[in-house]
Amino acid sequence: MPTYTPFVAHDTTSDPAPVTQLDVAGELLTLLRDATTEPRPDTRLEALTLAVAADLPVLLWGEPGIGKTAALTQLAEALDLPLTTVIASVHEPSDFSGLPVVGNDPAVQGVPMAPPDWAVRLVRAGRGLLFLDELSTAPPAVQAALLRLVLERRIGALRLPPGVRIVAAANPRSSAADGWELSPPLANRFVHLHWTHDHEVVVRGLGGTWPRATMPRLAPEKLPEAVDFARRAVCGLLAVRPELVHRLPSSETRRGGAWPSPRSWETALCLIAFATAAGSSREVLSLLVRGAVGDGPGLELLASLDRMDLPDPEVLLADPAAAVLPDRGDLRQAVLDGVVAAVRTRPDKSRWDAAWALLVRAVETGAPDLVVVPATTLATLRQEDWDVPASIEQLAGVVSLSRRADRAATRSAAVAAKAGR
Amino acid sequence: MSGEAPPNGAAAAPEDAAKDEVPATGQAASAAGGAPPAGAVATAGDAPGALDVDKLFAARLHAARVRPFLATALFALHAVESRRVPTMAVDRHWRCYVSPAFVDRTPVEDLAGVWVHEVSHLLRDHHGRSDRLARERGLTGPGERLRMNIAADCEINDDAFGDGLLRPEGAVTPASLGLPEGELMEDYLRQFRLGPRTQELSWLDCGSGADGLERGWDLGPDGAHGLNAQEQDAVRFRVAQGINGRPGNAPKGWKRWAEEAFHPPQPWRELLGAAVRSAACGTGAGEDYTYGRPSRRSAGLPGVVLPSLRRTPPRVSVVIDTSGSVSDAELGSALLEVAAIARAVGGRRDLVTVVPCDAAARIVHPLCRGEGIPLMGGGGTDLRSGFAKALRAGPPPDVVVVLTDGQTPWPARRPPCRTVVGLFPRQRRLRSWDEDDPDRVPDSPPAWARVVTIG
Repeated sequence: MPTYTPFVAHDTTSDPAPVTQLDVAGELLTLLRDATTEPRPDTRLEALTLAVAADLPVLLWGEPGIGKTAALTQLAEALDLPLTTVIASVHEPSDFSGLPVVGNDPAVQGVPMAPPDWAVRLVRAGRGLLFLDELSTAPPAVQAALLRLVLERRIGALRLPPGVRIVAAANPRSSAADGWELSPPLANRFVHLHWTHDHEVVVRGLGGTWPRATMPRLAPEKLPEAVDFARRAVCGLLAVRPELVHRLPSSETRRGGAWPSPRSWETALCLIAFATAAGSSREVLSLLVRGAVGDGPGLELLASLDRMDLPDPEVLLADPAAAVLPDRGDLRQAVLDGVVAAVRTRPDKSRWDAAWALLVRAVETGAPDLVVVPATTLATLRQEDWDVPASIEQLAGVVSLSRRADRAATRSAAVAAKAGR
Repeated sequence: MSGEAPPNGAAAAPEDAAKDEVPATGQAASAAGGAPPAGAVATAGDAPGALDVDKLFAARLHAARVRPFLATALFALHAVESRRVPTMAVDRHWRCYVSPAFVDRTPVEDLAGVWVHEVSHLLRDHHGRSDRLARERGLTGPGERLRMNIAADCEINDDAFGDGLLRPEGAVTPASLGLPEGELMEDYLRQFRLGPRTQELSWLDCGSGADGLERGWDLGPDGAHGLNAQEQDAVRFRVAQGINGRPGNAPKGWKRWAEEAFHPPQPWRELLGAAVRSAACGTGAGEDYTYGRPSRRSAGLPGVVLPSLRRTPPRVSVVIDTSGSVSDAELGSALLEVAAIARAVGGRRDLVTVVPCDAAARIVHPLCRGEGIPLMGGGGTDLRSGFAKALRAGPPPDVVVVLTDGQTPWPARRPPCRTVVGLFPRQRRLRSWDEDDPDRVPDSPPAWARVVTIG
């Protein structure tokens, strides 16, 4: 046996590539990691990118293990920033607020608060993406220290340079081990983004194809227009809904989430400007706005944005022949109602005629039932010396439609009465 | 005036593309119902006349007049003519597929009911809920989807009709399946199976907008005139706002929907857990850093002052309202929950005490005596004595958890510890009624307590 073994050893060393089990394992790992990417629109990642670009503190809420870190890696690549991940739960509060170091003469020199090495490196680099993971599993004192870092950008004696962007992640309250939650003042400072996994993406990714998100690019020529749009959107809503300006969360469900205040409206304004400059979709804007001011006010803002997009009644009345009405029935009806309201506020024969022309156009290009209410209202605005325009004959179908609905109403009432008896 | 449904535009393409196969659910519905429409549609030879657009839209107008709060949603639906749909069906992108034959043979007033019915599926997100149910309960196959469709129909039909709107011929109601009214689709789904009772259900193919299963006639996410998720939310929001703004006109079911559309009911177990944990983990209790003792890391870092991690388990006092108005079952479930949470937080059962209290506080029980805490009482309620008793305990508690139905006077001043109130909701009408003062409304829990509605 002892004479035999050296032979074998000799044989293997003469082999050009000795194959050990670890090498085989390494090969298998390489194969496993070999994945391609495909472009795929990702609204959440786009929203995150815009919020980070706007330098607003973002808080990602999501169950553990759903790819928050992977998203951050993509984001860092897109923004071309080095990524520093700090797992909050394995640190002590002094790692973030600075470690007190007792010097020779504390009474004279004071006790310096020494920052940890990653912070020093970040400051020296001047730019980077700092990801504070697992905020919610850290003890309260660590969280307190972290929030100072997120909101004031200070670590001990160091101040993070403006080129550093910070994103935090937390588990939702229901799955957080220690019942961590944000107090309303803190919650108000964050843009809250909820991170969930997309079943399709996960299955496809495990099959070897991960999504590659296309990152939003801010268009320099759109900037002034974007600011103007954002200001009009927010001011337009808050002017008519003053009660939306400040509303503390009242119920237990909404604790720790986004809520409206002048500060968060300013955040929302900033986010709208960024989303507009990047040409983002409404979905992205919806995530951002709802993450800043909460669901209800966010939806109201989006609804008023939809109305801002509708054509101006005065423009339509000025040139009814060239009018382009929205395709969607509810929006089309809102436009027609707006036109009739505009005629009502400044009644005038030519405007009245133009409104009829618009209604005719609406009937020609879309569903007739939408026209019934505006037509009825418009008819009541007629003044004695105004002649009925000839085009009104084309609305005869609308009248018969309306009668048909009336008859149906009468019949249903009769049936109901019979059933009642 | 051809209306907005293009007779040979977008609708024609998918029809031709998939004339050969009829979706499984459609088959099931037509087989079950024996309804003529499905047969008429399947035979392509004797194609019925063009869609009666005027009749369809007259019906929508009637529907919007009797249900003004639904007008936005009704008008947002885009009608698509389709010969392959048995009756009317919606997809998850807010398109409404209409069979011309069905429109021909259905009176306007019944069609209006179908419009409202279909739009209700979309407003109540039945397709999303069906998909979630399918995932959670592992329900697969067209048969299960048909059941979801039936359950969703039950949820809508028990309060969608009446008050100017006729119930269309053959609409499924909970009563026709022998089920109670006023429940949700998820509840109905547990209570029936496909069988003799469901044989007679007609017009049951409400499309992928109702049960989440893609149909052959669906135009898909890329088709024209679809609404994206954000637009759908906006429509839902406007409808909900319309109902909340003028709640007098809407039926009860719709009011409930509007209240919950954007503020879903509270998951009380989680909220109570979060409230108790957060109260118990606050400063003064729980696990946290302290400079009171040097850290064990100090030895390796001379010159640096480090805090150490120390754990102080919280003392939790549970005050239980044992007056007659709270049922044993309610108390039992909530008490178990609090005990479990408190144990998870403190780790030591002896730190949890229970104070049963009606008009006067009873004896304080430590929880370590086992589960058999006598919850006696039954008269009126005055929780102030319960609070006093809990706070007088040897080392005072860090957290007081109160389980009550809220029909009690509350302490005037904030107690010196965190307070969590688990509130059993009561109908306003059923709240304690005083012969001498019928208008008396009991005080609501004070602002300094964190209130979680239970159940």
